[in-house]
Amino acid sequence: MTDATNLDGAVTLITGAGRGIGQGIAEVLSERGAVIALSDLDADRAVVAADAIKVNGGNAFPFGGDTTIQESMDGLAAAVVEEFGRIDILVCNAGVIGAPGYQDRVDHTEEDWDATFGVNVKGFVHTANAVAPHMQERNAGRVINIASHGGRKPRGAKAVLGNVQAPYSVSKAAVIQWTHLLAIELAPNNITVNAVCPGTLWTPMWEAIAENRKTADPELAEFSGREVFEQSIRDRMPMGREQTPRDIGKAVAFLASDDASEITGQALNVNGGAVMN
Amino acid sequence: MTQSSAEQLSGKVALVTGGARGIGLGIATVLAERGADVAICDLAQSACDEAVSDLGAAGYTILGTAADVADRDSMNRAVSNVITALGQIDILVANAGVWASDGFEDRPEYNDADWDITHSVNVRGVVHSAEAVIPHMKERGGGKIVNIASHGGRKPRGTATGRTLGLPYSVSKAGVIQWTHGLAIELAPFNINVNAVCPGELWTNMIEGIYTNRQNVTDGGSGGSVRDEYDESMRNTVPLGRGQTPRDIGHAVAFLSSDDAAEVTGQALNVNGGARMN
Repeated sequence: MTDATNLDGAVTLITGAGRGIGQGIAEVLSERGAVIALSDLDADRAVVAADAIKVNGGNAFPFGGDTTIQESMDGLAAAVVEEFGRIDILVCNAGVIGAPGYQDRVDHTEEDWDATFGVNVKGFVHTANAVAPHMQERNAGRVINIASHGGRKPRGAKAVLGNVQAPYSVSKAAVIQWTHLLAIELAPNNITVNAVCPGTLWTPMWEAIAENRKTADPELAEFSGREVFEQSIRDRMPMGREQTPRDIGKAVAFLASDDASEITGQALNVNGGAVMN
Repeated sequence: MTQSSAEQLSGKVALVTGGARGIGLGIATVLAERGADVAICDLAQSACDEAVSDLGAAGYTILGTAADVADRDSMNRAVSNVITALGQIDILVANAGVWASDGFEDRPEYNDADWDITHSVNVRGVVHSAEAVIPHMKERGGGKIVNIASHGGRKPRGTATGRTLGLPYSVSKAGVIQWTHGLAIELAPFNINVNAVCPGELWTNMIEGIYTNRQNVTDGGSGGSVRDEYDESMRNTVPLGRGQTPRDIGHAVAFLSSDDAAEVTGQALNVNGGARMN
């Protein structure tokens, strides 16, 4: 039996774990006893992140992998199963905010739609496709998709910042729907599928969002990216705090454990109450 | 760095309303296992005493005090008793609830008494419980409130059943979810998290009554026992194919009551095997 505090050697594959939210999830799950297969598009970054976990006494092993390519995910899943014999927990986390150059645009482009759907939606599908058969064979497993509270219904009237973030939000709404449908699909095999919807975190992704807001709103030009971020927290967060990658990791640890064995198909916001469902 | 499960809530004091049986007892048990000192309240002192005796025998610190959540003064007294005895309340689990008024097993449709009791217990009871602990939590600089709603408080799906009996209950539970959202915003500046857990269908006294009602007011059913009908329904309507247990609800409450959920507030989490999704 596992619980939110103890994952007892569960083999966990996390995509996009070389930095940001994925790295925080890897840290927390490792501290709670999981064995981490740490995957990133940038294999060097995966090595550095895995080394950091090992220095703290954890078990982490780096893998490269491109979620936009099914064969790459098939190879990754096969490599992890070969190494550890199984995959107990899959965390689909790798995501993008838009296509390169996003920071400098006010409105979305075709490339933004392609990039967000290629990584945030099809990337999750490819990863699940690669891992689910292994879990089905064992009649057990946990899939946790990292969506966003941006994938929930929007609020407010102001749209002065352009629409460049629309493809991202639409892709994250798709992740939530994918979570619902995959949960039904895999329930007969005792595999639960849930989503965590992070709020506002100071990660490389939010650094890009801050730059983008400064591009869209000349009044923000004099502020640093971090100041733009902090203003957004003050404006939108009931709890008045930013979230951290570790906060997301703690929710993932719960959903990945036996404590959550009757929870499937749900999306949980970890966002200080900024959006409620 | 690895915690043990008994440290998840160590040093915390929790109050569980309706804690003497059913879901509430399951929650109280799990919170105690996870390290909290637990107080329960329930309508009858005798029911409280029995639960306290059972959990006490297992080595847990637990206090039972009779209280009626529908009565504001009664709830204030209960909270005051708990604070006097255990020193503090870190976690409130507002769980006490009713399905319908007496005699519902034989009725297909709701009556005024159903609206009154579901409102006074499920809605006002949750409000009274929160209001009784909020000043104390504010003074302490934080706290956790977990309301037990129901996935019946989410949007319905499906076609007409010919039975409106369940509507007052569902409306009251939707009220609990909206209360959770609104109170979360009010209490966020005080570092108090407010969330809801929405159980699916659990084999408790309440569910036994609901399935008895279905057998009584619809023709025949499967001809099996009430329990058989419930199991059959779980296989047909729940993606994971099974009902939940009070302990499953307790595990979700433990997470939401723990430091791990510091950034989770205003949310309602279904624990229902995927029967409804949000």
